[in-house]
Amino acid sequence: MQTINVNGYDMAYLEVGQGKDGDPPLVCVHGTLGDFRTWYAVLGPLSKKHRVIAVSLRHFFPEHWDGAGDDYRMAQHIADVIAFIEQIEPGPVDLMGHSRGGHIAFRVAQQRPDLLRKVVLAEPGGDLDSTLAPAAAPGGPSPQSARVLVSVNKVRSGDIEGALENFVDGIDGEGTWRRLPAAAKQQLRDNIFTLLGQVHEARKPYSKPDARAIKTPTLLIGGADTKGSLSLIWRALAEHITGAKTAVIPNAKHWMFEQDPEGFSRAVAEFLAG
Amino acid sequence: MQTLHVNGYDMAYLDVGEAKGTPPLVCVHGSLNDFRIWGCVLGPLTKQHRLICVSLRHFFPEQWDGKGNTYSIAQHVDDLIAFIEKLDAGPVDLLGHSRGGHICFRLAQRRPELLRRLILAEPGGELDASLAPDTKGGPSPLLARFTTAADKIAAGDIDGGLEFFVDTLEGPGRWHRLPPLMKQGLIDNAMTLIGQVRDERPGFSKTDAESIKMPTLFIGGAKTKGLLPKVLHTLAAHVPDAKVALIPNTTHPMFEQAPHAFSEVVLKFLAG
Repeated sequence: MQTINVNGYDMAYLEVGQGKDGDPPLVCVHGTLGDFRTWYAVLGPLSKKHRVIAVSLRHFFPEHWDGAGDDYRMAQHIADVIAFIEQIEPGPVDLMGHSRGGHIAFRVAQQRPDLLRKVVLAEPGGDLDSTLAPAAAPGGPSPQSARVLVSVNKVRSGDIEGALENFVDGIDGEGTWRRLPAAAKQQLRDNIFTLLGQVHEARKPYSKPDARAIKTPTLLIGGADTKGSLSLIWRALAEHITGAKTAVIPNAKHWMFEQDPEGFSRAVAEFLAG
Repeated sequence: MQTLHVNGYDMAYLDVGEAKGTPPLVCVHGSLNDFRIWGCVLGPLTKQHRLICVSLRHFFPEQWDGKGNTYSIAQHVDDLIAFIEKLDAGPVDLLGHSRGGHICFRLAQRRPELLRRLILAEPGGELDASLAPDTKGGPSPLLARFTTAADKIAAGDIDGGLEFFVDTLEGPGRWHRLPPLMKQGLIDNAMTLIGQVRDERPGFSKTDAESIKMPTLFIGGAKTKGLLPKVLHTLAAHVPDAKVALIPNTTHPMFEQAPHAFSEVVLKFLAG
């Protein structure tokens, strides 16, 4: 694959499409258990108008990571994406992130607005602090991170299938894992050891000042049928990001761009063109 | 994407994994697919191999308009030969699925020195009279229906054309039941169907099969019905150094249905 060396790591990426002269590329950042292949379903529609660059974050496939070392950190991935954008294009880029990748894109927008033209956050992951969710229990783990812990223990005891089922069903409901096509399952399985890193990634919750600090034009996208915290976070952020636009994909859950590639791509393309 | 310039065309490919003492494994997709179809086996296979997944001329990432006469088996074989030569990695291992298997078979016939080993996953095509005495010859009985599908696509009705095509092959209602993720890959390559119905590919003959010199593995879905398993077993009976592996509980897209089992079979063959 093509790679760019960022902070001492060869970061792999897939680049598809030409875009129009002068238009920024669209850099896409996958979420937990994803990699550059996460975006395969929307490469066709999106690359008609855009130069699409789908990265694999440090330790995700194509690397075959064993989970050792302590550089699987939210801060590391944010720094890597920043260094990647600095090298891939002299001017600002458009940045899209899904789930945990949405968290990364949000933090890049907070830290380095100079690198970005527009931002798309597809159900960004994380927790809301008490300024955004007054009912949040201070300091306690969210249901989402508690679920990750259970999966990690299963990975450590060798129960890979159980770990994946627990994680995926925790997001989109009981029975989701079993119903996934084998091909989709395998791509998540390829990244299972990254969960071992995720336990100590040190992800900070979103705060109201964080959201207000976003100056980049932002689109937040959610699946209409997503339940739980992932359906609440993007709505809470949208309330406090100045001028934020939103789009809901009907009949879709957390992996909304796989469930409705055309609908998702239309929402993104309209936002990037507007 | 990375590309190599072959016969005047920039042929895109995904290059992933590092070889551990074996040549690269070049993977060739079938009809209406592209380099992405191998996504689900990249993980298991790249633990041992460098994979080069190509997109043939006019398939995604190209956004083809269906015009011109450069979509054909002959052109794709020429392109793949030039691609392997330009790759300059010595003889490669070659894996082809469906129509891609047909292309790999023809390449193995013409240029055996370019290959170390050959894997054909349900290669597409017909058997001629030397292999199937009861064969009627002439075009596939489905050609008229495929042409209808291609005409719909050419007229802009992508969804209708693909529905007609997929349901002809796999039964009524199949297109509507496909997960959107899988539909999209076909949608992205729908225009290639216009080239496909104009393509003429000669049937496999006994002499063709007997001329395949390198170790060859045929992989089938244990539940695939119709012509594909017949072609597979007939060719395997006449290719001198042939092995056959059937993947339980799968049909034609066997590696998508059982990525792990498929990869195990491939790894074993390449290591043996």
